[in-house]
Amino acid sequence: MTSTPTKPVRRFVKVLNLSLGLATLLALSGHAEDVRYKAQPRGSKVTVAGTSTIHDWTLEGEIIGGYLELPAGVAFDTAKAELPGATDGKLTAKAEVGIPVTSLKAPYSGMDEVMQQAMNAKDHPRIQFHLLEMTLKSPHPTGTPFVFDAKGDLIVNGVTNTITMPVTMENSEPTKLKITGKVPLKMTDFKVTPPVKLGIFRTGDDINITFEWVVAAPKPQ
Amino acid sequence: MESNEPNRPGNDLNRREFLQNASSFGALMLLAGAVPLRAEDVKPAGGETNYSTVSAPLNCAVIGCGAWGREILHALSLLPNAPVVALCDNYEASFRRAKEAAPNAETFTDYHQLLAKKEVQGVIVATPSHLHREIVEAALAAGKHVYCEAPLASSVEDARAIAKAAKAAFKVNFQTGLQMRADPQRHFLIPFIRSGATGRNVYARSQWHKKDSWRRTAPTPAREEALNWRLSDQTSSGLVGEIGIHQLDLVNWLVNHLPTAISGQGRTVLWNDGRTVADTVHAVYEYADGMNYFQNCTLANSFDASYEVLYGTDSAVMMRTDPKEQVNRQWLFKEVDSPLLGWEVYARKEQFYQETGITLMAGASKLQKAAKAGQTLPPEVTPLQQALAAFITNSGVVAKGVEDFTTNYGDDADALRDYITGVSVTKARRDAAGWQEGLEATVLALKANEAITKHQRVVIDKAWFEV
Repeated sequence: MTSTPTKPVRRFVKVLNLSLGLATLLALSGHAEDVRYKAQPRGSKVTVAGTSTIHDWTLEGEIIGGYLELPAGVAFDTAKAELPGATDGKLTAKAEVGIPVTSLKAPYSGMDEVMQQAMNAKDHPRIQFHLLEMTLKSPHPTGTPFVFDAKGDLIVNGVTNTITMPVTMENSEPTKLKITGKVPLKMTDFKVTPPVKLGIFRTGDDINITFEWVVAAPKPQ
Repeated sequence: MESNEPNRPGNDLNRREFLQNASSFGALMLLAGAVPLRAEDVKPAGGETNYSTVSAPLNCAVIGCGAWGREILHALSLLPNAPVVALCDNYEASFRRAKEAAPNAETFTDYHQLLAKKEVQGVIVATPSHLHREIVEAALAAGKHVYCEAPLASSVEDARAIAKAAKAAFKVNFQTGLQMRADPQRHFLIPFIRSGATGRNVYARSQWHKKDSWRRTAPTPAREEALNWRLSDQTSSGLVGEIGIHQLDLVNWLVNHLPTAISGQGRTVLWNDGRTVADTVHAVYEYADGMNYFQNCTLANSFDASYEVLYGTDSAVMMRTDPKEQVNRQWLFKEVDSPLLGWEVYARKEQFYQETGITLMAGASKLQKAAKAGQTLPPEVTPLQQALAAFITNSGVVAKGVEDFTTNYGDDADALRDYITGVSVTKARRDAAGWQEGLEATVLALKANEAITKHQRVVIDKAWFEV
């Protein structure tokens, strides 16, 4: 422009600069365009596998509630080696997960009640997980799901333990994610006393939790 | 059960006894604590935990406090988790006896008022059969878990309406009063039958004999008429509907089929007191594989009480309910030329006239152990108690399932229905008769009554079972 801008134009430009600056600030801080993937009512599975002196046992549930928040633009394209949005292998993710203790079902009559008492389900009705950090495992072979080390606080029976477990993440649909993982634990680490009956039926301390979690973001308009 | 060596697995249960029990299911049930032992029967060992296998209590109400309602109240009073908070009957004088088993219950003569109480979680309907429909529909609409006595109704239309309402009300638990379906003793039989231990079905037969008029006296003619609803063809489906239905359901369950046609006849031979319902009835149920089931019920003779027999080419199975203790028993009678199953060598046997019956009993090894140790076990749980215990547990499972799901996923009715009727919740439920079993048994019993009263053959239409 050779001529001086008019007052309204100057104000417009000022406002534009301000908003651009603000947008950049927000983008840099990672909050503005995070995508929230909410837990879906179908497709999730959680298994708690344990042992005893008489037989192995498994608790199975289908409810995993909560959400996962990822920065916008993160797409799990397994055909690519890299994951856009993961800086230095770290994914800025936030997740709050809850599993109702009463949704875990045992194959033997009466075992549900025993398990719920052992875990103090009345006072602590949910198993909770707060994600602290997600680190991408490199290198990622193309054609395979992305694998992360997920570090977070696991709360069972009101007792918190920080755990790290491998999780895989893949898009089952563009806005749907399936997150799978497995973590070995000890009941006593969470102050849960393994059931013992009649001196001959002793539940083992070691358990393995396996899960498949389906979450989805709102479809783009 | 004593154990000095808590760390040796299978300490008290050796292989022979496992074979004798013929399945470790009974033992596992005990070990998982499903058959509650009293504290005094358990010797504490190292590190013993004290977790109970009893499910959370369910506040119960009984609508219909007649003779059977009182049986139900007595059974509920023996359960540790079935507090009875309310009673209902349109005849106030019934509360005097009913409250003996439920002294803290609030009484109502109008069931609507009872259903309005938020405190009431589960409702047991034990009124005369022709009055079930209205009460069950109202109870389901009020969000209560419902246990409806068998037969569901006195008309096919009413039975289908109840089944339809129960199917739609998936957020609550519905159970039919076919208590055999909740009995571990009868369940114990199923693997034997399914694995072919009886061979091919030859035929089935049952009898229900009890010399009894069924007529009750009452202070007023109006009350007498109401009390004797079972003697009128306007309100009752007679012996097959009220009694035979349980034996019919058992046979259907064992052979895993429903009858395709029913014939019958009946007459009043002894109690000629103006009743319009026969005191002696015979029904023949035909099945698709050609098998017939002959059912005989009478109020004119008591000999040999009641039992059911399934005759097969390799063996016969006889089932009885012990009249004193009201617990179920069953025996296998093998043909001389039938294949050896192996375990029968170790099994307990009982003599019947000229036949030797092999006892088929869940929990047999536990009884043996107790007998050896000179201990007495607590009295066995009757089928009615098992059925009511299952109702309490299952109602809790359904209610918790709805709560867990909606807390996490909100209001998705389709997904909720899929979850409640899906694998994990169904697995957590105790065995019991649902609305489908109730509908099938009720329709068949009503059609049997039709065959008997009209003295004709009735062909069964499968569409009657679909809602």
